[in-house]
Amino acid sequence: MKVVEMHRVSFTYAGSSDLILQDVSLDVGQGEIVGLLGPSGSGKSTLLRLIAGLEAPTAGRIAVCGKTVADRTTFVPPESRGIGMVFQDYALFPHMTVARNIEFGLHRIPRGERKQRVRQMLELVQLPEYGSRYPHELSGGQQQRVALARALAPKPSLLLMDEPFSNLDAALKADIRRELRDILRRAEMACLFVTHDREDVEAICDRSITIDAKVLV
Amino acid sequence: MGKGHPKANERLDDLQPYRGSSNFAARFFILVSLAQGPGENWSHIKQYVLKDAVMQSAWLALLTGLFTTGLGVGLAWLTAAYDFPLSRLFRWAFALPLAIPPYIAAYTYSAMLGYTGVVQTTLRNTFGLQLSQGWFNIMSVQGAVFIFTMFLFPYVYLIARAFLESQTGAYVENARLLGRGPWSVFWLVVLPISRPAIAGGVILVCFEVLGDYGVVSYFGISTISTAIFKTWFGMYDIASASRLAAWLMIGVLGLFLLERQLRRQRRYSATSGKSRPLVRRRLRGAGGAAACMFGAVVMLVSFVIPVAQLVVWATWTADEVWHEGFYRIIGDTVAVAIVPTALTMVAAAIVAVSVRQFGGIFGYMLAKAVTAGYSIPGAIIAIGVLAVFIKLDGWLAPVYAALSLGTGEAPLVLSLSIVMLVAAYVVRFMATGYNALEAGFEKIGPQYAEASRLLGRGRTQTFLRVELPLLKGALLSGTVLTFVEIVKELPLALLLRPFNFQTLATKTYQYASDERIHEASVPALCIVVVSLASVYLLNRIERGMEV
Ligand SMILES: Nc1ncnc2c1ncn2[C@@H]1O[C@H](COP(=O)(O)OP(=O)(O)OP(=O)(O)O)[C@@H](O)[C@H]1O
Ligand SMILES: [Mg+2]
Repeated sequence: MKVVEMHRVSFTYAGSSDLILQDVSLDVGQGEIVGLLGPSGSGKSTLLRLIAGLEAPTAGRIAVCGKTVADRTTFVPPESRGIGMVFQDYALFPHMTVARNIEFGLHRIPRGERKQRVRQMLELVQLPEYGSRYPHELSGGQQQRVALARALAPKPSLLLMDEPFSNLDAALKADIRRELRDILRRAEMACLFVTHDREDVEAICDRSITIDAKVLV
Repeated sequence: MGKGHPKANERLDDLQPYRGSSNFAARFFILVSLAQGPGENWSHIKQYVLKDAVMQSAWLALLTGLFTTGLGVGLAWLTAAYDFPLSRLFRWAFALPLAIPPYIAAYTYSAMLGYTGVVQTTLRNTFGLQLSQGWFNIMSVQGAVFIFTMFLFPYVYLIARAFLESQTGAYVENARLLGRGPWSVFWLVVLPISRPAIAGGVILVCFEVLGDYGVVSYFGISTISTAIFKTWFGMYDIASASRLAAWLMIGVLGLFLLERQLRRQRRYSATSGKSRPLVRRRLRGAGGAAACMFGAVVMLVSFVIPVAQLVVWATWTADEVWHEGFYRIIGDTVAVAIVPTALTMVAAAIVAVSVRQFGGIFGYMLAKAVTAGYSIPGAIIAIGVLAVFIKLDGWLAPVYAALSLGTGEAPLVLSLSIVMLVAAYVVRFMATGYNALEAGFEKIGPQYAEASRLLGRGRTQTFLRVELPLLKGALLSGTVLTFVEIVKELPLALLLRPFNFQTLATKTYQYASDERIHEASVPALCIVVVSLASVYLLNRIERGMEV
């Protein structure tokens, strides 16, 4: 079964006439790790937002785990799609500690298990001591890792990431990359991530897609 | 009290026929006249009152608009672009006149300048000067423009300064590098690009002027607002008052269109996204001294002198005014401000969230609709609210009968109650609360809400757990602003208050129109103190949010 299917999706931002995506079709299979490449401004972030449900396509169909989530008549809101996302600018809630940020998406699992899951996640991103800090007390790279932990915590069927490694130094990047691949593999979680770095693609991706001039090439 | 103002007496005579009448009578007659439609009053008003009133209103708005633009923008540029002696003090002191509602300033200045006021007595007794009364007559259109300008210019100043400081740095630097002197930088660069921001402030001032009742009625100037009051309270002719209101609305709509026109060009002017803050230049020697003098004069005239005078008068009359009844007035004022403030903020939050949810044209219309109240003069809102409540009372008549409330065939229950005033406040000040919240939303951006949604939280959960905590500062600012606006408000309170109900503002007005200016200083000072406290609070909130 495909985790994501996009069928001839087109998109225009409300209030503008520029076609950002035109007739884009793509599939991501279960457990597949796919890199999304393309020049700046080509619509990579927009594509992720469409899959996440933060924007609605102007034409075409999007299905997640075999269920249509967006077409001409349907629109499933983001909270019901079971998709995790790491934002380009992290968007960690500034009024919550790191631990509370990670716990935020765990409201559907039993209370007793939440603390443990948070601890696991913090260990995963190598920040076990940082649970009680606030986001503004972290470095850029640390914030990025917390954002990753937060998105992974609810075990989504698909993880979307917008340039997730851009702020990490080379050594940490290799580490996190390896860890991430292991987690994704173990959980059979699919992942679609935007990157500018060919190395990322070679290190963990099963395949890559390039987007250019509104269409996939 | 000296009776040195021929005009004031004339105005009092004008008021005599309906001064003692209760709002009950007014409302009863309104009910009757609503049923009857326009009577012969209208042709009288149209013939003798309308043209003058329209002209006076237009003049006041135009002249005040011009002068507040000059003063507000000039001071904003001076404090944003230059360092000179005391400039740090002036930066925030120029916001203080907002703590003094123009009607209070009008009473204060006219009494100070009167025959027995401090200015003339000092001239007579100390310098032996006896000048013609014409020199001191502030009760004229010019006087009103002076009062409006000195006490409303901060609306322009604050908006313009914020814009200049944050948006114009790069342009100004470039103009200077290209060898332009300070004057041409100001005229050729600063003024054109800050026009949309300035227009916003000036239009706000014009709305205040058109809606004003306190200043013009005291000065005996006939405007559309005073004409509405006279037809309402003097002739109990709500139909004619409504027609006058329609004339006033034409002016308001004209201003609206003008503002849109002036703002539309914004998109041509903003080319560079990120902007550098403006770096202040040091003014030395004569330039610095002149700037400092100018600032000091403005600060004295627009704040220090009137407040000092109010304090002096208050020490004379506090014993007499400050009795048990006065505590009740304070209590009533606070209560009648708190309830609509709370309602306004809740409604504003709901609207802000819905606007975000619907987006597009519908969201835009919704936002425009709730913020329209601020531009509509109090007298018009009062008429609208009253009409609605009288209708409501009509529909509820069977309910009243069942509960044996009210008396007669058509009992007026809601429309004689404080509920009506509360509703009017909510309509009028929704924009204040909404705009504060909207600014907060804009500041936090959409990304936190999006992250929350992707973590599986619905709209409501997202709002309560993510947005609301982040909006705390904005919510608090909106609450404080709305509260103060209501405490200062005069025309709505005058028109819609229940029988025997007084707020600090109406008490001030009452003392003043009884020519008991010295007594008026006590409630007036209370209003000023509340406003000043709010300025302080807002500053604290703002600083708290930056940390
Ligand atoms: N809210 C918006 N309204 C209108 N146009 C937008 C909006 N957001 C993005 N765009 C436009 O959509 C296009 C694609 O933007 P997008 O952010 O998807 O690019 P990207 O491939 O992620 O670029 P980058 O690699 O720089 O992050 C750009 O041309 C951008 O100008
Ligand atoms: Mg992007």
